[in-house]
Amino acid sequence: MQRQTGCAGDGWLARLAGRPVFMCGFRPFFLATAVYGALVVLAWTGFLSVGLPLPPVAGGPFVWHAHELMFGFGLAAVAGFVLTAVPEFTATPAFAPRLVLRFVLLWLAARLAFWGSGALAALLPAAAGGGAAWLGHLPAAVFNAGFAFAIFAAVAPRLWRDPDRRHLGFLWGLLAMAVAVGGFHVDVLRGEYPMRWVRVGLGVMMSLIVVALSRISMRIMNDALDAERARRLPARVLRHAEEAELELPSYRARPPRRNLAISAIALYTASEFLMPQSAITGWLGLGAAAAVFNLLNDWHVGRALLTRWAFMLYAVYWLLALGYLLMGLAQLGAPVAPGAGVHLLAIGAMGLSILAVLCIAGRTHAGYALDERPWVGAAAVLVALSALLRAASGLPDMPVGALQLIAGLGWVAAFALAAGRLGALFLRPRVDGRGGCAEYEAPASGTQRAGA
Amino acid sequence: MTLLRAWLAGLPAYLWSGWGAIASLCLLLAVWEAVSLAYGPLVMPDPRAAFATLWGLIDSGAAWPELAATARRALTGYALSVLAGSMLGLIAGLSMTASMMARPLVTVLMGTPPIAWLVLAMLWFGASDGTPVFTVFVAAFPVIFIGALQGTRTLDNQLHGMAEAFRLPRRMMLTDVYLPHVVSYLFPAWIAALGTAWKVVVMAELLATQDGVGAALAVSRSHLDTAATMAWIAAVVCLLLAVEYLVLEPIKREVERWRGQGA
Repeated sequence: MQRQTGCAGDGWLARLAGRPVFMCGFRPFFLATAVYGALVVLAWTGFLSVGLPLPPVAGGPFVWHAHELMFGFGLAAVAGFVLTAVPEFTATPAFAPRLVLRFVLLWLAARLAFWGSGALAALLPAAAGGGAAWLGHLPAAVFNAGFAFAIFAAVAPRLWRDPDRRHLGFLWGLLAMAVAVGGFHVDVLRGEYPMRWVRVGLGVMMSLIVVALSRISMRIMNDALDAERARRLPARVLRHAEEAELELPSYRARPPRRNLAISAIALYTASEFLMPQSAITGWLGLGAAAAVFNLLNDWHVGRALLTRWAFMLYAVYWLLALGYLLMGLAQLGAPVAPGAGVHLLAIGAMGLSILAVLCIAGRTHAGYALDERPWVGAAAVLVALSALLRAASGLPDMPVGALQLIAGLGWVAAFALAAGRLGALFLRPRVDGRGGCAEYEAPASGTQRAGA
Repeated sequence: MTLLRAWLAGLPAYLWSGWGAIASLCLLLAVWEAVSLAYGPLVMPDPRAAFATLWGLIDSGAAWPELAATARRALTGYALSVLAGSMLGLIAGLSMTASMMARPLVTVLMGTPPIAWLVLAMLWFGASDGTPVFTVFVAAFPVIFIGALQGTRTLDNQLHGMAEAFRLPRRMMLTDVYLPHVVSYLFPAWIAALGTAWKVVVMAELLATQDGVGAALAVSRSHLDTAATMAWIAAVVCLLLAVEYLVLEPIKREVERWRGQGA
């Protein structure tokens, strides 16, 4: 198709794809994640506090903010992660810059189409009647569902052909996510309130987080444990050598506990979808919370946990568990707004884990060491705080408006910081002489590596 | 002292590992809730109603005397069977002839349904504490007896020979060679017997006594009060879970630690 439309279009695409930002899948998508996360919540906070108008979409402003944060912001982060991690996990070549560019354009088209869906419906001639809303939303449905299924289709063959098929968790997660996006837009086209599919998307996102963090945490936790061993080295020389060795276990993210947590989350999500207001769902929520707490058994390894990156990931699980706990309690009739738990998951678990992935995967795959500057800690604390404040606004007798305003601004500040500090790295060519998605390699101790 | 410190240091991790069990139990509660939704509260009250009733019983102080009576009977019968079962089992295990003789007798004991013993006990002891205590004793005794018997029968003779060759003092022989092995058989038997005791005592009370959890169950049954029935059942099961996971299981792990480290 491109060949026939002429060299002009082809050259334009090729030139754009040649820019450093398309060198690897995470670069444009992590940049988009940080920028878009800050933008959407800024607009949403403006709407909540001073009534700033939001784009009219089917279902109203609440659906707009939920859809854009889950399937715009969240899915961009997922896309960036899998486009980078899947080639690495399956030892297959990286995705070509031109393909990455196309995914980005599709994502942008999906955003534009959804933002403009209400306006488009208003533009259509009145003769269309009820069909105008349907037609106005159609592009948003096609682009959004198309993006989600395209990401799934891009990584599915690699995950499936992997000899050991050790990463099928991502495959099922992406498929479920695409189904959730599709379901959302089918509901809108059928004229129904589509929020239930955002909840499905949230559950799928939580499972994907558990799967992804199990891979990331192995590295982060064992690095932290190595550092702790090195710190204890003097003590080890003085005392009995084996004794010091025995004190620190190594960290392993064990599959049985992870599978239990994912099954519990999946059960809750399915039950919530089928029985939105039911005590059955409530008990399953408590079960999901307990199953996530159970995951933390692997994590309690002593002081190494208190290092920056380890603790950030650890906090994600706490927010995840507390979120399901609150959601379960709300379903069982406790005086908690259902939104409190939802936002602990969406702001807390999703926001914090995405921030962590941006910092960890984003920097190492751009050729830099982990960022030890204070902004990372500040941004992480801001995200966690905004999750806790937003959840607290759902408890009885709370200053709802003030809490939601502070929560919104905290989130915006955190992702604006991330966009500023990380965005520049993603836009620039690599400085370590390596290309594509190659990971950062610490220079060998003592002698500097040639070319590094 | 070091042992105590190690035990205390491992305690938070042990307690935290209970989350997995809680997750499964929540699933059970969800199923319970579903059954109650499907069949209505008369057949099966929902978990929250049962727990609210239980809380009401505890809050009003009505639950404690019943639970205390049940615990007294169960523990008395259990203690008797632990003492008798362990002693007799160990002794029987020492002699091949005795264990050959004992086995069929124990099979008879185990094969006789507890309800049959209960009927006999009611004839012998009437409505006194003796009935549930005796029934518990008879139900728990064979389990412990078999455990103790197996423990002594499977003692490694070569280990014994080696200990003799090294001229191990008698006291060490007992504490380091015989005891860990025998205890690793006895302990699971004790735990299994405790579960049996706890179940059998409620059954015995239901039919034979005027107080205790079993009697309370009988009353709530006659009033068609399913919420109270489930509340009492929940109380009994929760107590058993607490005793097993907070007291017995940690001790069992400590006692059986040598097995994992053997190889």
